Amino acid sequence: MFDFYKKRKIFFAISTFIIMLGIISVLINGIDLSIQFKGGAIIKYSFIGDIDTNEVADKASSVLNRNTEVQVIEDMATEGKKLVLNLAGNSGLDSSEQQELDNILKTEFSELNLQLSESNMVEPFIGKRFLINGLIAIALSAVFIILYVRFRFKKISGLSAGVIALIALAHDVSIVFFSFILFKIPINDSFIAVTLTIIGYSINDTIVIYDRIRENKNLPKYKKVSYENLVNNSINETLSRTINTTVTTVASVGIVYIFAYLYNIESITSFALPMMVGLISGCYSTICLAGPMMIMWQKKKAV
Amino acid sequence: MRINKNMYFIVILLIICVGLVAFFGIKAGPIQIKSIQDIRFGIDIRGGVEAIYEPKDLDREPTDSELESAKLIMETRLDSQNILDREITIDKNNGQILIRFPWKSGEADFNPEEAISELGETAKLTFRDPEGNILIEGKDVIESEVEIDKQINRPVVTLVFNEEGTKLFADATEKLIDQRISIYMDETLLSSPFVKNKITDGKSIITNMESMEYAVELSDKISAGALPFSLISKNHSSISPTLGFGALEVMVKAGIIAFALVCVFMLVYYRLLGFVACFALILQISVQMLALSIPQITLTLPGIAGIILSIGLGVDANVIISERVMEELRIGKTLDGSIESGYKKAFSAVFDGNLTSIVIAIILMIFGTGSMLSFAYTLMVGCVLNFISGVVISRIMTISLSLNKVFRKKSLYGIKYKEAI
Repeated sequence: MFDFYKKRKIFFAISTFIIMLGIISVLINGIDLSIQFKGGAIIKYSFIGDIDTNEVADKASSVLNRNTEVQVIEDMATEGKKLVLNLAGNSGLDSSEQQELDNILKTEFSELNLQLSESNMVEPFIGKRFLINGLIAIALSAVFIILYVRFRFKKISGLSAGVIALIALAHDVSIVFFSFILFKIPINDSFIAVTLTIIGYSINDTIVIYDRIRENKNLPKYKKVSYENLVNNSINETLSRTINTTVTTVASVGIVYIFAYLYNIESITSFALPMMVGLISGCYSTICLAGPMMIMWQKKKAV
Repeated sequence: MRINKNMYFIVILLIICVGLVAFFGIKAGPIQIKSIQDIRFGIDIRGGVEAIYEPKDLDREPTDSELESAKLIMETRLDSQNILDREITIDKNNGQILIRFPWKSGEADFNPEEAISELGETAKLTFRDPEGNILIEGKDVIESEVEIDKQINRPVVTLVFNEEGTKLFADATEKLIDQRISIYMDETLLSSPFVKNKITDGKSIITNMESMEYAVELSDKISAGALPFSLISKNHSSISPTLGFGALEVMVKAGIIAFALVCVFMLVYYRLLGFVACFALILQISVQMLALSIPQITLTLPGIAGIILSIGLGVDANVIISERVMEELRIGKTLDGSIESGYKKAFSAVFDGNLTSIVIAIILMIFGTGSMLSFAYTLMVGCVLNFISGVVISRIMTISLSLNKVFRKKSLYGIKYKEAI
């Protein structure tokens, strides 16, 4: 049996360290909002042969009168190459402008056999509306979770259970956020999807342990032991469940990630990777943070 | 319901049937069930175009009826290009029109910019003589309305022209008496009324309407042709068909491998209970697919996240139950007693976990927009299914299996020989 309460300081230190690291990387890298949220334009072409990205950038900038960044990406599975045009500024591009650009690039660089593969233009206000709705949904879900846990787990002091569940959630959501920053994935709508998934997953994890504490509390053999032992034992009893579930889920998402990575499907890698990080964090925060915090809260109250 | 020892067989058979229907569908005369092959994928997965249009150079908010007319123009244009699988939504609050359509399979000519530009152009309404010469243009039409002709008690469409239009219309009707005058939107023929006599008051009546709906549609289309603005899209995304279909194929492969891996793990770790879990999961996934394909709900990437989460919760429900049954066995309870109390004790954890997810999904349905709705839908359906397949179906299977003599060894329930004594 592992004493999670005794080792709590190590766990808190680990979490604090990771969060500090995250904050530092935010300060260094800044938050890269995707064009879905801040507006802008990205156009991708597949092509054959070699290309001088500066030349393309110059051409595009002169046509559109806007600064253009050009990049080449390759995917491992099919060895295809893609040209990525990133238009600076935060407005979209209307379709006739895009058509003009398309015609010029195709005639100027005809030997490359340029084929449009993806395009994405967003005006800033559209993205803002989307982001705000997403944030409202996340905030409301958080409020609901506190109320629900408070009501359902009255027996094990619902308010503390609710607040601690929420702290664990905030921990996981910030880790997810930092993983976007660390892996240099722009904050896009997959961020909202991942955050919501992790909220669902993490709260489920925490509830399983609360459920066990609530059940054990009434058992005769736990009548005499301290609250500390009750919580600690409950965590240990559910440990194999927590680990098995996390292993299978992380492995499944991992397979999705590997496939998406090999075929360079960015829309999927950009949510599978942070989701894996979030799943591990969700499991960790439940076992190593939520439990010990419950004990601390009760001890404080007892004093 | 009393569970007997053969029931597991019936349940497995049933699950296999549901699975087959989900994957292959049913196409037998009047009974048509759409399968996994007919799932509507969002353009983020399958490839296609998504564009938000707004009026170009308009210094006021477009009215509701103008937006309706604009929508009609877009519909007519998409029809003429044979793009029938599309969604057109009007956002009246923001004066915008949202269009999404996927690529047709095997489409080679990929030119979304052009398609997007063309869709937004002002529709050109023309009146033409039988030789195709343009006589009057849409800009000369002031209004078009549906009225009921009291004498014959049938709907008619009335058109009112401006001064220029009145003159042109008088000339045209004079020339075309006893012939047809054709009304076109772009190159699509809307109607070909018969000219009875010269009309000089600038008011024309088109009779012989098949139905009220037809008359309203014609009138709306004529109004649309007289729309004073064209539409522009500064918000659009497109994903090429090759990229879209490729991504889908890769994801299906990854999903199958991931599922196989989960099944192997469950079988090795939880033995018989793992076997039951695999079937419960197959049922859950099959019904989840049917819940997407039958009502033709668009599945987007966040929707796939919702499926992953609900399957994760489904695996979790089975793990919680299996662990509980094993625990009961370890403390020396009988097999029947262990299964019974294992399921009972596991229920509250499964219930709370899934119920919170369902409520989160409902909150999202209310506040979410666009692709988030797909997440909310798949998550909600998945969690409801967790109760059914994870708790009810797997319980029936487990108890039924355990009633058979061959399946009564405790080692089959993941208990090591030493522990089992």
